[in-house]
Amino acid sequence: MNEIVLDAFRDFKRNRVRTILTSLGIMIGVLSVVLLIALGLGLKNYISNQFDKLGANLVIIFPGNVFKEGASFGPGFSGGAKFDEKDYQSLLKIKTADYVVPVYFKSIAIEADREKFLGYIQGVNEQIFPLMNLKIITGRAFGKTDVSKKSKIAVLGYTLAEKLFKDPKNALNRQITINNQRFRVIGVMEKSGDREMDTAAVMPYTTAFGRINPNKDFFALYLGVNNKDSVELLKTQIKTTLLKRYEEDDFSVAEQTEILSSINQIFSIINAVLIAIGSISLVVGGIGIMNIMYASVTERTKEVGIRRAIGATQKDILLQFLIEAVILSVLGGGVGLGLAGLIVLAVQPLFPAAINLTAVLIAFFVSAAIGIIFGVFPARRAAQLAPIEAIRYE
Amino acid sequence: MKAKAKTPVIELNNVSKYYYLGEDEVKAVRNINLKIYSQEYVSILGSSGSGKSTLMYLIGLLETPTSGQILVNGQDVSQLSDNALSHVRNQTIGFVFQSFNLINKMTVLENILLPVKYHLNHLNFNPYDRAQSLLKKFKLANRQQFFPNKISGGQQQRVAIARALIMNPKIILADEPTGNLDSKTGADILNLIESLNRDFKTTVIMVTHEHDVAMRAKTRIYIKDGQAVAKYL
Repeated sequence: MNEIVLDAFRDFKRNRVRTILTSLGIMIGVLSVVLLIALGLGLKNYISNQFDKLGANLVIIFPGNVFKEGASFGPGFSGGAKFDEKDYQSLLKIKTADYVVPVYFKSIAIEADREKFLGYIQGVNEQIFPLMNLKIITGRAFGKTDVSKKSKIAVLGYTLAEKLFKDPKNALNRQITINNQRFRVIGVMEKSGDREMDTAAVMPYTTAFGRINPNKDFFALYLGVNNKDSVELLKTQIKTTLLKRYEEDDFSVAEQTEILSSINQIFSIINAVLIAIGSISLVVGGIGIMNIMYASVTERTKEVGIRRAIGATQKDILLQFLIEAVILSVLGGGVGLGLAGLIVLAVQPLFPAAINLTAVLIAFFVSAAIGIIFGVFPARRAAQLAPIEAIRYE
Repeated sequence: MKAKAKTPVIELNNVSKYYYLGEDEVKAVRNINLKIYSQEYVSILGSSGSGKSTLMYLIGLLETPTSGQILVNGQDVSQLSDNALSHVRNQTIGFVFQSFNLINKMTVLENILLPVKYHLNHLNFNPYDRAQSLLKKFKLANRQQFFPNKISGGQQQRVAIARALIMNPKIILADEPTGNLDSKTGADILNLIESLNRDFKTTVIMVTHEHDVAMRAKTRIYIKDGQAVAKYL
C-alpha cells in the first residue's frame, strides 16, 4: 500500500503537466462552487445587514391604512390621522414601550458657509439615537433637556456634514441655516448607509415646531422594545391606545419585519438563485474534472496493458489508479478550498462573503467523487481488456 | 528431446482465434495443436499477417482464444481467475516485444523491477541484487537511472529482456525481438536470447518473419493463414 502511494507521488513528479492539469480541474471545480456560494451568501448577508441596522424591534405608526392601499409609506399619501403631541403623550403611557419617538420628517434646503444642500429635517426626541442605533463620531447627541428647552441645535448626518463643511469634524459648533433660522451643530453621526439619515439634520421635535413645522404634526411615531418577544404586545397596546381617538383605517401599526415582508420574498429568491448557481457550477466543474481525468487515464491504456502483461491483476491496476485519483482529488480539492478561503478573506473587508460548510462539503465530495469515478472507470476498462489490446491502444 | 517425457510447459489443443475487423471475420489462428517442452528453443516463423503474433499472445495469455484449450504446465488456463492468470504471466512467462513496451516515465531500473511490484509479498530473492546483476550482465549498469527514450534501441531491448528475466520465468516469449533493430544490434539480442536458453535453461519461444533468424532455433513452427503447416525439429 505504501509502495503504491510512493509510486503515485513519483508518477506525479514525472508527469507534472498531467498532474497539474488534472488537479487543476478538481481545484477549479471546488473553488468555483465554494466561491460562488460564498459570494452569494455575502450578497444575502449584505442585504440582511442593511435591514438589521434599522433596528429589529422597531414598531412604526403611520397615518392611513398603508397595508390596505398598498405599499405607499410616504407622509400624507395615505390620508388618515395627523399625529400630534397628544398622540405622543398618550403613547408614552404604554409601559411596554422602551422607546417612544415622534418623527417629523421633511426634505429641506440646509445652508452653511455659503454651501447649500438639499437634505432632510428630522424632528425627534433624544431616544432616536439608541432606538435607531445611531453612533456619534464627533460632538454629542442631544438630550432630554435639549428637547424640553427647545434648544436651537442639530446633529448632522455624515454626508450632510461633509457636503457643508468638507471635513465632518469641522462641523462641530458651527452654524447651519434652515428657513432663515440658525442652529448650532453639536454632533455628527457615523455614516449609516441610509441616505435619508446620512443627509439629515436631526433636532429636537420641539425645536422644529414653529417655523419649520408650524402645524406641529408628526409624519410617524417610532416605538421600540428591547425584548423582541414584546413586539406583539406592544402592537396590541398601540392599537388600543390610538383607537380611542382614531378609526381603524386612520393609522397603521407596522413592525419592521412586516414592512420588509417583501424583502423576505427577495431572500427566498436569493436562496433559490444561490442553489441554482451552486448546482450549475458543480455540474460545470464536474464536467471539467470528468474530461481531464478521463482523458489522462485513457491515455495510459498502453501502460495498463504493459503492467497487465508483466503480471498486474485487474485489482492491482484499479488500486493504483484509485489511489492516484484519491490523492489528486484530495490535493486539488484542498487547494481549491484553501484558495476559496483566501479569496473570501480578501474580499471580506469590502463585502460580507461567507464560506458555507454545507456548500464546502458538497463541492468537495461531489468533485472528489467525480474525480475518483472518472479516474478509475477508464482504468478499469483498460484493465478488463485483453492485455495485448490495451498495449496496442493508441 | 529427452525432455519430452515430461508434461509440456505449453500445450495448445485445437486453438482458434477469430476477431472482427468491421464486418469481416478474421481467422487469425485456426485449429492449432502444439506442444512445447521445458528448455526448448522454438521459433514461430511466418509472413506478416500469418497469425504468428496472435499465436504468441495466446501462448502468453495476453489474449483469450475463441475456441480450444491452452494448458500451461498442464493447467487449463481457461479455468483460471484473473488473479491466477496474472500470477502465471508474472511468475512463469517473460515477454519481449518488438517495440520494447517499456514505460517511458520510469527509469531503466524501475522498468526492470516493475514485475516485482506485483509479487512483493512472496519474493524468495532480493530483487534489487538480481536487477543489478542483470544490468551488469547486459552492460546496462551505467544506464540504470536513464529513462528509456534516452538510450538506444538495442539497450531498450536489453532492458526489456532484463525485465522479462527479473522474476526468473520458465518461459521467455519474444515477439520479433529484432524487428526494430539494425542487423548488428539484432544479432547481439539474438545471441543474448540464445544464451538464456543455453545458460539459464529457459524455454524460449520466438516469433519472427525472418527465415535466418528462425533457423537459429532448434524447433521451428511454420505458420501460414493461421495454421501450423509444418514443424521442423
